Amino acid sequence: MDKAENAYQMYSDYIDSTIISYNGPFDAQVLSVIAENIEYSLSNNPRVSKKIFKIFIELAQNISYYSAEKQKNEEGNFFGSGILMLREMVDHYSFSTGNIVEKHQVLPVIQKCETINMLDREKLRQYKRKLRNMPSGTPGGGNIGLVQVALTADYPLEYEVVTVDESTSFYILNVRVNKS
Amino acid sequence: MENILIKGDHGTNFIPTVDFNAETGICELGGESYLEDTIEFYTPLFKWLQEYIVNVKKPITFNFKLRYFNTSSSKCIIDILHILRKYQEEGGEIKVNWYYDSEEEDIDDELEEIEDFMVETNLKINLLPN
Repeated sequence: MDKAENAYQMYSDYIDSTIISYNGPFDAQVLSVIAENIEYSLSNNPRVSKKIFKIFIELAQNISYYSAEKQKNEEGNFFGSGILMLREMVDHYSFSTGNIVEKHQVLPVIQKCETINMLDREKLRQYKRKLRNMPSGTPGGGNIGLVQVALTADYPLEYEVVTVDESTSFYILNVRVNKS
Repeated sequence: MENILIKGDHGTNFIPTVDFNAETGICELGGESYLEDTIEFYTPLFKWLQEYIVNVKKPITFNFKLRYFNTSSSKCIIDILHILRKYQEEGGEIKVNWYYDSEEEDIDDELEEIEDFMVETNLKINLLPN
């Protein structure tokens, strides 16, 4: 196979495996449509459906609140925007989100993921309980959603931060849930 | 004292079903809890419980029948449990039941969450099939 055919194969595999993909503001209207789609497309596997739904809610809410890029929805309100993708692989489902972060957020974002991946399940639950007991609005309070995501997923968090320009980067997070 | 009755909704927001009854002392929170403004929704529920504790002073049975809740709702669940535990410490009679879906095959995650609630609040929660 030549290079062009190879690239085409990769591209079509990618498209074939995509169940949901979205790019735009994460407002309540959009999220409810995506939630419905997740429930519908995974209805034959209740375990996966429940897990992906839980992961989706936490990550979508994080983007809605914390994305450095805001977009207006149809009603003229501003919401954090980003991308979201659900793909079906051979033995697992892959759920990814991406959003813009400011330069000063890059290090905390990476540290947060590193910390979560270092902890075993018991330690992660302890960490969640600790975060939950902090008063609302405490810096880092929003991390609890990501801890819940790690507890729900079947693999460690996969993450990458790509520099966009001098002041911003793009933060990609990928979470996997086994089919069985 | 007025009762609280809120019909749950699975629309743009997932609003839980609320049924707080001042005559029977039975409070129910069920369905799905994923809201944009969690605190705003739960604050009247906290206030109701506190008012009941001060004025009615009768036993409370709290039944959780939640199928889904996000982490910000779980913070409010913790707050409810703290109110109930404080009432118990002051001599109030309380009972907390958590109903899980008995047809659901995979409830490990849910059981873990309830265990976390108990560890976090030091309150006994009875696990019952629904």
